[in-house]
Amino acid sequence: MALNVKEKDCHTDTLKNISKENNLPVVALVGMPNSGKTTLFNTLTGSNFKTSNYPGATVEYSIGKLVNKYSFAAYIMDSPGIISLNPGSPDEDVTVDGIFNHPKFGMPDVVIVSCDATQLSRQLFLVKQVIDAGFKAIVALTMNDLLDKKELEVNVKKLSEILGTPVVKINSSTKQGIDELIKYSQELHLSDKSPDFKSSIHKPAIPSIDDVAKMYDYTEATEREVIEHKNNKLDLDEINKKSFHSLSRTPDKNSLKLDKVFLHPLWGIIIFIISMGIIFTSIFWIAQPMMDLIDAGFSNLSALVSDSLPADTWYNSLITNGIINGFGSVMIFVPQIVILFILLGLLEDTGYLARAAMLIDKPLSKFGLNGRSFIPMLSGYACAIPAMMAARTISNRRERFLTIMIIPLMSCSARLPVYAMLLAFVVPPDKPWIAGIGLGALYLFSLISGAVTAGIISKFKKTEEKSTFMLELPPYRMPVFRHIFKNTYYKALVYVKQAGPIIILFSLLLWALTYFPNVDPVIPAEKTAGMTDEQISRVIESERLNTSYAATVGKNVFEPVLKPLGWDWRIGVSLISAFAAREIFVSAMAITFNITESEDDEDNFQQSILSSMKDAKSPDGTKPLFTTASTIALIIYFMFAMQCLSTVAVARKETGSWKIPLMQIGLYTVMAYVLAFVTYRGLNLLGVQ
Amino acid sequence: MIQPEISENIKSVADMKTGDTAFITSVGDDCIDVHCHCLRLMELGFTPGQEVSVVAKSPFKDPVAVSVRGTIIALRKSEAECIKIN
Ligand SMILES: Nc1nc2c(ncn2[C@@H]2O[C@H](COP(=O)(O)OP(=O)(O)OP(=O)(O)O)[C@@H](O)[C@H]2O)c(=O)[nH]1
Ligand SMILES: [Mg+2]
Repeated sequence: MALNVKEKDCHTDTLKNISKENNLPVVALVGMPNSGKTTLFNTLTGSNFKTSNYPGATVEYSIGKLVNKYSFAAYIMDSPGIISLNPGSPDEDVTVDGIFNHPKFGMPDVVIVSCDATQLSRQLFLVKQVIDAGFKAIVALTMNDLLDKKELEVNVKKLSEILGTPVVKINSSTKQGIDELIKYSQELHLSDKSPDFKSSIHKPAIPSIDDVAKMYDYTEATEREVIEHKNNKLDLDEINKKSFHSLSRTPDKNSLKLDKVFLHPLWGIIIFIISMGIIFTSIFWIAQPMMDLIDAGFSNLSALVSDSLPADTWYNSLITNGIINGFGSVMIFVPQIVILFILLGLLEDTGYLARAAMLIDKPLSKFGLNGRSFIPMLSGYACAIPAMMAARTISNRRERFLTIMIIPLMSCSARLPVYAMLLAFVVPPDKPWIAGIGLGALYLFSLISGAVTAGIISKFKKTEEKSTFMLELPPYRMPVFRHIFKNTYYKALVYVKQAGPIIILFSLLLWALTYFPNVDPVIPAEKTAGMTDEQISRVIESERLNTSYAATVGKNVFEPVLKPLGWDWRIGVSLISAFAAREIFVSAMAITFNITESEDDEDNFQQSILSSMKDAKSPDGTKPLFTTASTIALIIYFMFAMQCLSTVAVARKETGSWKIPLMQIGLYTVMAYVLAFVTYRGLNLLGVQ
Repeated sequence: MIQPEISENIKSVADMKTGDTAFITSVGDDCIDVHCHCLRLMELGFTPGQEVSVVAKSPFKDPVAVSVRGTIIALRKSEAECIKIN
């Protein structure tokens, strides 16, 4: 699925590095959703793309080279699952366009059609369509181990004769059949040197209902021919002929049993709520100790470096305030991201997420959304970028756009550190559990605000296009922990690699803007009379900040706008830097509120931010800047504001126009400002300062 | 074209209860809507003569999980109504 930042990056990466000049043949993997294409792709290319037990896991091509072990040099192309060659949704368009005319690779030289052996009569439909379209096709039979459990097997020889193409039974985990598959691909590729065969390949016309029925007559007849009982020595031919053909069309027995519980009218809902609850509470509870550890590590590092460099020099400040703090604020929420991805991966790999999408379809449809919006929305709690890509499996255009529209409202993991810091400020230190509840409430509230926003927008925008759901529920499987951990590891790595440089760049920029031009402020001697050295250096620092570039811009531009919300220019500067990525807010606050670790006796980074927040004074210097009301207003602002440039870019790409991203920027910024204002003033009126 | 009163007597997958099994007689016979998704239903494997059974219904009775051709597919009630059974 879709929670996959890595998939996208690797995709663009590989495309950049690979050009078609060297004329290597292209082998495309095509097949129905969840039929094991990506699993096979990973085996063939040695990559680590995400496979998962949810139809629609892959929404983009990925291209890789066949591993060197084989003497056949070729590109392998993975594609999103399709039901037929008549695409029904944007992710299916990707595949169909890709195999008929890929923008970079043209038409594939060989097509491997993956075919789930446990649903032969259904999956042969696409196989037949691909063969009839004129491709050089090979059938890769997957899930033979599952068919085996029913004591059935496919007669490969017969099937290959009927179809007129090679058929290979494969198993990616035991590597069974892989060599053979490659051998056939190579033979097929070399079989007819003339490139002409490609010109005779044609996209099938949209079939009539009768055509489909006829096609299925064919696949059923084929299935009857090739499905055999494993122990045909038993010679129970007649009995078996009756029983095993219906057996071959019974779904996985365990799944039927488990669905009685997981889709139960009462238990189903309870399990749904509990599993979602566990995900979101563990982000906070399990991650906290690890975050504290990282936190302490960076604080110690910063103190160590600061002590070993000459005090009060610009490079001491640059390294400790700019670089180490900036990097610390990147690393601190790696634990939360890791936990979120592991749990989502678990749920997805077991096959439960498709059921969850079914359970939530009805309520979501009330808001103009679709059960298929559920996975993108849930992924939105990790990161909006893969979430928007996951929305491709929604076939109805309006529902897809609406889902993309509200994804930025889902509380993504980049907001976690911001919330964690602000909540820690509001909540009394002796009652940390309130912060946990507060965070839970924020998550719930983001879901509600997303649904309400979708509901309101869909009231204004009616369409004739009919909405569909039709989601295949994959069999329940034991999750493969190795895959989940691997995926999570790559995602965390991508996060650090992607967010890291931007965060550090912004940290440096901010550091410079807050440090220059008045590097050595002159403080009149009478002001510092009787002060300790430490106090003097604090006075110098705040004077330097007050006369910095950031202060000049901030005081003139941001302060007038932010004053009604109870904020000052320093918060404004932090908010602007958070446009590159929300999590930068924390490091920006750390820099603009000038935390100098070396002089603090607090034991860690977060504590030192909190204490400088407490010390900060409002613009007129009389009241504290961070009151309960102004901090809660800041939280509300972050819930709505479209504070992420990469999201804007992806929304543009996924919707093909600027309309949605511009609407998101306009609407959500206004909502954020107005709601923060209402919150601040409302709390003041209620007597909360 | 089949009259609405008559088509109400024809049962569809939407009328089945959890655990019921039936055979498909036709798909989308009385569909007038051009945007109808009957073709997609057929492509998914809901073809006349096929045996279907309702595995589960969501708590809101919609969508329903229907088993067909070795897999389980969740369909909305409106989609299940296109699939007529005997
Ligand atoms: N038992 C068994 N499971 C398999 C086999 N091949 C793949 N799987 C599992 O089937 C699920 C789907 O595999 P994927 O490779 O993600 O399927 P896909 O065809 O890429 O799916 P989409 O990208 O959604 O179209 C995963 O949970 C795999 O671990 C197999 O031969 N046997
Ligand atoms: Mg895939």
